[in-house]
Amino acid sequence: MEQDKLSNAILVLSCQKRDEPAFRELVNRWEPRLYYYLRRIVENENDVWDVLQETWLAVFQNIRKLQDPLKFPTWLYRISHNKAVNLLRKENRYAQITTEQIANHYENNTTISVVKEQAELVHKLLGKLKLAHREIITLYFIEGFSINEMAQIIGASEGTVKSRLYYAKHKLHEVLKGANHV
Amino acid sequence: MSETNSKKEFAENLIAQDPPPADKQQRHKEALLKKIEHRMCLQKAVIIAIYTLLFLAAFGAFMLREHTDNVVHSICWGTVSLHILLWSLVYILRGICMEMEGLIEKRLGNDERRRHKAENLFITIVAIMAFVFSSFLLYRSFSLTNALKAVQTAVSILWATIFFLIFYPFRTATLIGMLWFEYKKMELNITKPEEQNSKRQA
Repeated sequence: MEQDKLSNAILVLSCQKRDEPAFRELVNRWEPRLYYYLRRIVENENDVWDVLQETWLAVFQNIRKLQDPLKFPTWLYRISHNKAVNLLRKENRYAQITTEQIANHYENNTTISVVKEQAELVHKLLGKLKLAHREIITLYFIEGFSINEMAQIIGASEGTVKSRLYYAKHKLHEVLKGANHV
Repeated sequence: MSETNSKKEFAENLIAQDPPPADKQQRHKEALLKKIEHRMCLQKAVIIAIYTLLFLAAFGAFMLREHTDNVVHSICWGTVSLHILLWSLVYILRGICMEMEGLIEKRLGNDERRRHKAENLFITIVAIMAFVFSSFLLYRSFSLTNALKAVQTAVSILWATIFFLIFYPFRTATLIGMLWFEYKKMELNITKPEEQNSKRQA
């Protein structure tokens, strides 16, 4: 895991020096997971490719401004989140979720123990969650981001992220428990 | 460790549930790299065009100096050509200095980084003010009638530029020194445990 982070940081540093093969490698490395994440938000495949292209162009344009190469994943997801949200806002599909009604419940006491065989089931369940919950749980599963990092990505408070994560986990937990009983 | 591995495996399995279609991914990558190549070419072309224009402007001013009968105007046009060339050189030196600054900033803490940024901003503002003020003085010196006064103004204008021409290489050299120092510190940190290990083994 640490090695992954270090090799990523080296790639980012090379990209900051405008090294094209390094950029190609960076795209190869991050595209599948970014695609998965964007598909959970945007859904329409053509739109996903458009957002992906805009994201990578923005990355190429601004990578020199990134001070800490180890923070590249958070930075990359923040860019793609913003691009995706811009697209959804244009089509009035992005509904802001308020945390007021659920603010009291965000104690992170629901732990989900998922095994790799349950990935297919979790993937299907993700589609049943609300957009904002789905986004958070996808970030949690595919990158294992911390609450703080997810808050930076979606540009919301840590409380909002905690509550969204709580609800998403809770729902998944219930369904997974049901599936295990069956 | 095993928990981290199982999480990683789960993430990989999850991503594998909806992978990007290979043909579309390939097409997308080609289009992306083409666009990036175009952007890079465009950036280079813009920079070349700007420097060509600057050089032409400087050369034009230099030629005007030759074709005027007025001594004051001749001095002023000569100063204009040097003013343009020297400030474009200052800008290049600033770019090199900022590159080094970027490298050293990655090794600094947040406070130090902020201090460096504030320092750079201050220097840039002073340089811009110097450029604007000297350009204004140069513009006004065209209306002078006394050639001696015009020479004096030209010298003071160029002196301000020379200050930055000396300042930026010095700052770059200092930054290179700092980088070298950091490198030596890193080298020491790497060799220390090795020495300890060899001592223990002995």
